[in-house]
Amino acid sequence: MPRLLTLSEINRKAMLSFPCLEPDSTPWSLLRKPLSQSKISLVTSAGLHLRGDKPFIGDPQGGDTSYRIIPSTTQAADILQSHVSIGFDHTALMRDLNVTLPIDRVRELVDKGIVGSLARHYYSFMGALRNPKPLIETTGPEVAGRLKDEGVDLVFITPT
Amino acid sequence: MCVLARVFEVAGLTTLTIAMVREHAEKVKAPRVLFVPFPFGYALGKPNDAPLQHRVIGAAIDLLQREQGPVLEDFPEEEAPEALLQASGVPHVLPEAKQDPADEVTTLRAFYERWLEDHNGRTAVGLCGIPQRRWRGVVRFLESYSRGEGADMQERPADVPVPQFIRYCVDDLKAFYYEARLTQRPNASESEIHRWFWGETAMAQLIRAVAQRMNASDNSALKYFAYGLSR
Repeated sequence: MPRLLTLSEINRKAMLSFPCLEPDSTPWSLLRKPLSQSKISLVTSAGLHLRGDKPFIGDPQGGDTSYRIIPSTTQAADILQSHVSIGFDHTALMRDLNVTLPIDRVRELVDKGIVGSLARHYYSFMGALRNPKPLIETTGPEVAGRLKDEGVDLVFITPT
Repeated sequence: MCVLARVFEVAGLTTLTIAMVREHAEKVKAPRVLFVPFPFGYALGKPNDAPLQHRVIGAAIDLLQREQGPVLEDFPEEEAPEALLQASGVPHVLPEAKQDPADEVTTLRAFYERWLEDHNGRTAVGLCGIPQRRWRGVVRFLESYSRGEGADMQERPADVPVPQFIRYCVDDLKAFYYEARLTQRPNASESEIHRWFWGETAMAQLIRAVAQRMNASDNSALKYFAYGLSR
């Protein structure tokens, strides 16, 4: 987004006071193969899911830290958004899913040979969590395990 | 969602993260982060602008060259963000002889159906699970709720509490209106669409009334749901 300067006073304060993890170090895994041989998956915090899958829920305490699985062959028409925040413009995603989950763009990169291949599944969480602990301890590692099992090398993470 | 990048990287996966709040990304110290100066909702730049979306992805891919982190790079192209309008920012100008929101839905249906045709069936509608031919019932349910009548719908799944169900219904109605309007006025700016919805529709008036009813309660969970309907 937006640089915070461009936000309203109330939004800026909300952003600045949002609870964030503040660790000292950074975990680091180098890509071990050339990009053109790597398998890529998409993971988003946009609260997306398959039409017919369980929508995300509003949780006044910490937020919904569950995740949804989206097969990478899914068409845009079969993907819905149930993010609880109304602090972003929903019209962008209505016009084009790629603005948040670039399913067509990554396919084009694979077709051009820039990226090796697409994973079988993409994963979606919902951001704006006030308590990310269950995500860090449970659902995040679970998705990491699934990505590893599918042989994914590179994960592209997008917000909404 | 920079924390996820950390979790994945610990597991041995390489990550590239797009961040929209630079200040948060800085604190979380995720491995490779591209900050994009776009409005919320526009992570990859603009809808239907594939070249720009590719430039954003390409700038993220460039971060793979780095040998240590945290890396936090700024995407160099800046878009002047249009402020997102909320309900409270739009005066309601609906005439006294207020239209029935259910009739309003009917008059918009042809435009919505054209949206479906133009977008290969893609629509943001679909959270509440109630077929559109029964939406008159949804409107009556919301009206009854806004009058404090303890309303409910038999279609509500048992594990979805009433306020959450209302949220899904309202999100579907909003999506229906927005997609119909985007069909009517394909070149309208986002703020014109928001201004029309919150300023000129009977549905927005009803949504405001539902939120008001929730806000009048002492229950903080209800206020939380009201905040997600209209603020």
